[in-house]
Amino acid sequence: MKNTSDKLKDFFQYLTLFTGAAIMFLPFFWMINSSFKTEKELLSFQSFFPKELLFDNFRQAWEMGDFLKYFGNSVFVTVVCVALTMFVTILAAYGFSKLRFPGRDLIFTVLVSMMMIPYEMLMLTNYETIRHLHLFGKIWSLIVPFTSSIFYTYILRNFFLSVPDSLYQSARIDGASDWQYLWEVMVPMAKPSLVTIALLDAITCWNSFMWTMLMSSGNRNIRTLPFGLTAFTSEAGVHYNLWMAGATIVVIPMIILFLFCRKSIITGVSRGGLKG
Amino acid sequence: MEVRIEDLVKRFGDVVAVNHVNATFESGKLIALLGPSGCGKSTMLNMLSGILPVSEGRIYFDDQDVTSLSPDKREVGLVFQNYALYPHMTVLQNICFPLKIKRIPKKERIERAKEYARMVHIDDYLDRLPKELSGGQQQRVAIARALVKEPKLLLLDEPLSNLDAKLRVEMREEIRRIQRESGVTTVFVTHDQEEATSISDYIMLMKLGVMQQFAATRNLYNDPANLFVADFIGNPTINQLHGIYEEGSIRADGFAKAIPIGNYKIEDGTRIVFASRPESVLVSKKSGETEMEVEETYISGKDTLCVLNAGDGFLRAYVDNEDAPEEKTAVRVSFRKKGVFVFSEESGERYYE
Ligand SMILES: Nc1ncnc2c1ncn2[C@@H]1O[C@H](COP(=O)(O)OP(=O)(O)OP(=O)(O)O)[C@@H](O)[C@H]1O
Ligand SMILES: [Mg+2]
Repeated sequence: MKNTSDKLKDFFQYLTLFTGAAIMFLPFFWMINSSFKTEKELLSFQSFFPKELLFDNFRQAWEMGDFLKYFGNSVFVTVVCVALTMFVTILAAYGFSKLRFPGRDLIFTVLVSMMMIPYEMLMLTNYETIRHLHLFGKIWSLIVPFTSSIFYTYILRNFFLSVPDSLYQSARIDGASDWQYLWEVMVPMAKPSLVTIALLDAITCWNSFMWTMLMSSGNRNIRTLPFGLTAFTSEAGVHYNLWMAGATIVVIPMIILFLFCRKSIITGVSRGGLKG
Repeated sequence: MEVRIEDLVKRFGDVVAVNHVNATFESGKLIALLGPSGCGKSTMLNMLSGILPVSEGRIYFDDQDVTSLSPDKREVGLVFQNYALYPHMTVLQNICFPLKIKRIPKKERIERAKEYARMVHIDDYLDRLPKELSGGQQQRVAIARALVKEPKLLLLDEPLSNLDAKLRVEMREEIRRIQRESGVTTVFVTHDQEEATSISDYIMLMKLGVMQQFAATRNLYNDPANLFVADFIGNPTINQLHGIYEEGSIRADGFAKAIPIGNYKIEDGTRIVFASRPESVLVSKKSGETEMEVEETYISGKDTLCVLNAGDGFLRAYVDNEDAPEEKTAVRVSFRKKGVFVFSEESGERYYE
């Protein structure tokens, strides 16, 4: 039997969790709820639920904002960014942990210290880079600056360092080359870390806003969802019901993705991304 | 495959870990690399496998000079002290790995892996991860993985040191059996002389990087090249009396009478070490050249171990329980020809008759 103080503790725990969940959920509910109302209904606060479910908002929003294109761009940018980042990160982490070359640790220290440079500063140099590469207005301008990450390299390098050298020697004697050792032994071993890194990177890419705005304000063909939605709110005029419908359209794919990858996202985030 | 090493040297900065070693390992034999910790056994093994580059000297596999061949091309199998199994792979995948690298078709790969798993009696655990296995089972997986690619040379670096005493004895017999069955030339590193003598055909005994003796296992015990070898091999350790050689006898330090030991090519007055295996010391109540006092007796199994007072030193000898003398009584002592050696005290070099 649980005693009273335990029950009380349970009660407050659940109360806290419930309150947290309600606070998180309410804006979503509000958004979806509002997206079915007429504009008048929404502004007059007469009824909590819409009198009738107005799907026309979605049709209008869909027609006004080019959401399918934005979504396609988002997926493309995210997938390519994550893939390139993973590839570069794996190679860099391996080089900085297992290969011997002069100045290795010094170079790495310098790289790590560069993590302290604020992102806004980097935007200037990235802007210059894109200009010199003549990528303005092209979708690659959203990808090129984000194909490597010192932070992820640092995480993965720590994991690689913890792998004993005898595994390397063993693999070499088993006939593997350095390249095969990396992909056949190290990478599969680092899978939990890699999944975490990939998810964190995917979330970052998907939500990237500042840079996207900078690059795509001139060309609506390369907009991704976050900026596309913002642009839509100004292009559609002040129609809250349409804004809400647009936002709902944007969120739905993420919700579906979350439902599919729920397990790995939760383990990935709860392990803090820092352990192997 | 025959392995020949010529004048092999390995330096780490100022440390000479392996110092001008020459030897030939006969094909199909089990060779133990024996010596105290830090004497360069692992270094030697790693040079044979190609993990460590040599500083000087050459290594030949049959007639091929492999000195600068990289490990993946040497066709050796190596079992590490910590086994170094791939933690994310199952037992079967671990054993398959060398074949996968060789791009052998999956079906054949699995077939061959299973065959070797059966040979090391690990075939009931094929789907387990290494962390779900006991130390002895992990070791057998490591051996199977080393053997599956049918190496020309199998190298084992203290593979038994993580196991408990009983399992260690079982596993060393297992290794012997597997080696016999596969007929692969094998080098086995250990610092345990009993382990080395119980399974090997040949022993190479090392000390501080220098090879002390390389001989058939039996000869190492019966015919040691120097005092270090005589002392290292044998349990209980060999008796040692320090003293001065004089006309076929030793004047042992602190012992009143000269002890006859036979004629050696030594100048009178040289300081020597007279070494005798405990089973070569004959104790009797009546006959024998020298009288000594029994200090202590211990019963061990069917024999009694007598500790005999010999001045500053002492001698251990075995006597049948029925004939065991009383403590603190005098007995007569003589020595067999076999198992008795004389060494220079200064250099440890052996003197011959
Ligand atoms: N990478 C290295 N750098 C410097 N010195 C080393 C290195 N590896 C080994 N040594 C030195 O070389 C000597 C021989 O080492 P080795 O590992 O071969 O000994 P070992 O006989 O295998 O000992 P153990 O029984 O303890 O494993 C030791 O003095 C050791 O300190
Ligand atoms: Mg060692």
